[in-house]
Amino acid sequence: MLWFEDVQVGDEAPVRVHVLTRTDLVAYAGASGDFNPMHHDEVKAVAAGQPSVFGHGMFSMGLLGAALTDYVGAGAVRRFQVRFAKQTWPGEELRTSVVVRGTRSEEDDHLVDLDVRLHNAAGEVKVVGQATAAVPVRP
Amino acid sequence: MTEDVLDGIVGTRTSHVVVTVERGHVATFASAVKDDSPVYRDPRAASAAGLAGIPAPPTYPFVMEHNGAYPELQPQDAPTGSAVVTALAPLLAGGGLILHGEQEFEYHRPVFAGDVLEGIGTVTDAYRKESRGHTMTFVVVETVWTDHASGEPVCTSRMNVIHRA
Repeated sequence: MLWFEDVQVGDEAPVRVHVLTRTDLVAYAGASGDFNPMHHDEVKAVAAGQPSVFGHGMFSMGLLGAALTDYVGAGAVRRFQVRFAKQTWPGEELRTSVVVRGTRSEEDDHLVDLDVRLHNAAGEVKVVGQATAAVPVRP
Repeated sequence: MTEDVLDGIVGTRTSHVVVTVERGHVATFASAVKDDSPVYRDPRAASAAGLAGIPAPPTYPFVMEHNGAYPELQPQDAPTGSAVVTALAPLLAGGGLILHGEQEFEYHRPVFAGDVLEGIGTVTDAYRKESRGHTMTFVVVETVWTDHASGEPVCTSRMNVIHRA
């Protein structure tokens, strides 16, 4: 459990590391209902000029969401916003970065503002954004 | 002069849907985003984390319309097509690529397995920019989700889609 009093600017959530596979893209297509062939049909993706199938942006945001809730707790997120900067490719190692930017209290809410990012092993940023979570104070 | 496909698109209703949030689908979705937390699978773990039920992962609202939108629940005025598709189809006919540019969620409370939620989607913005020799057409769709029984707000999803010519 993350307590508001313990949060410091610069604190980081545990990093999630995931190597993207084509199987991930098929599983995400099925779970999300997003059957854009660019994400699962290599023949069509190559015909469209892509080097291979590539990841759903929302899969990347989902990985980042998991890192976020690992840290602040499921159900604690108040806002989660990202920009999709680059495509993700099978075989790439994707790493999450969730860092505390600030804390503030508004009435009964104790809020933690975070910078969120997903990047590959070379540091290329795939997804970048911000989140806010409401976390409890110590009893 | 040709009619601009973006004329009049702001304010267009893109969706009106009622969904049931199902426990099995929540667990499947959590697995699909590589989240193995027991709170998405075991009500005892959710309860131990102080939650009123099994929550959905934060990006779940993006996919809610694709599961549990049973016919008997659907509003009479549900639009049949999507305004975004209608707007972008003429652009796509000339080639180019559709990209998901940005995504935002605001949560008033967690989405829980067992919820019955009503979603209303509206085009809230549409504009063009030139970028590195490409014409980029941006359409923003906001979907407001409320508890179907109480009308209480649950979450708002904002999607920015781009057509790159």
